[in-house]
Amino acid sequence: MAEFDPIEERAVEMLDDVELEAVRVKTVGANDERFEFVLWNLCLRGVPVIERVCRTRGEACGLSDQEIELAIEDAAARMLLRLSRVEPQPQVHALAAEIAAACVERSWPSQQQSAPRLTPRSPQLRLVPGLDEAIETGKVRPNDWENS
Amino acid sequence: MSGGEEVFERVFWQALNDLKEGSEKPIESYLLLVPRGQRDELGQMLADVLLARGPLPDPTAAESEGYKRAVAVVDEVLGRRGVAGILPGTLKAMRNARGIEPDAVVERLAADFEVRGEEGRQDLARNYHRLETGKLLGSKLSRRLLDSLASVFDVDPAEVLAAARPAAKGPRLKSAPAMGRSGGARGASPPRPAAARPPDPEVELVERLFYGGPDA
Repeated sequence: MAEFDPIEERAVEMLDDVELEAVRVKTVGANDERFEFVLWNLCLRGVPVIERVCRTRGEACGLSDQEIELAIEDAAARMLLRLSRVEPQPQVHALAAEIAAACVERSWPSQQQSAPRLTPRSPQLRLVPGLDEAIETGKVRPNDWENS
Repeated sequence: MSGGEEVFERVFWQALNDLKEGSEKPIESYLLLVPRGQRDELGQMLADVLLARGPLPDPTAAESEGYKRAVAVVDEVLGRRGVAGILPGTLKAMRNARGIEPDAVVERLAADFEVRGEEGRQDLARNYHRLETGKLLGSKLSRRLLDSLASVFDVDPAEVLAAARPAAKGPRLKSAPAMGRSGGARGASPPRPAAARPPDPEVELVERLFYGGPDA
């Protein structure tokens, strides 16, 4: 693992994600004051992933823009909580994606209002015996909405 | 090491270096560089690397409102790091993001610790406010309080415990009364007779939760 001069912040910024995570574990465990700068750098790497995952999943779930932004803020705070642990954490992009997904998937006001009270019954489909053969041999033709 | 193994290893490290530098080629182009019998293994190893790396950030994300708000949260939480670590900042940020009023948190804590009386609830509200504003020592917070907060915010109790670890050089605590607000510009209130009222057991419980240390 790369050692760095405490006043040389550029050295921390140059570390790759794995090295930076190793430094985080080391500084958290030692209650080293450089922890704050390391955490800041890790978060800066995770925030774009949080933004992307919350935006894409939030839109897919029907969240409003305001709710997506709140999910992003929630995820940023939760990422800080996770990174304050002494135990090694997954690579920061993977961690950010996991947390962002969890923040989007909790219940939101817009989802509660628009959710139908009753879900439609799923259709019960069954296969007519011999139909596949009949279609293949031309005895039966599939429905044509224009002629039927 | 055989020639095939050497090629396999060289291609794998080439792919890793390319990924690290952001200049990766389509995965198929790496697979084509190793013998057919080793492609499944290389594909599996590269899939594991990609899975561990997670999704790539959106290059345009830094300009978005969401990105700015997230960075502002990180900045504020870290900027407020002090004698209760980053816990005060994260509690406030999560509460704001989820639209939870402080009273709702206090209600949940009161329910968890069966604080029903008015004095106990007021003390709970006062101390929760002090916690969120970074005026309490993280090392004096009880484990059961931290567990309860973790439950309120639906996070892992170990994370709340870790977040409450004080900063190495936190701001010094000003001396403040354990209960009640300071008198401010007003004159000090006359001392109450010591035996006039027995201490409220719920207030005592709340004080233990916030000031009694991990085992209180």
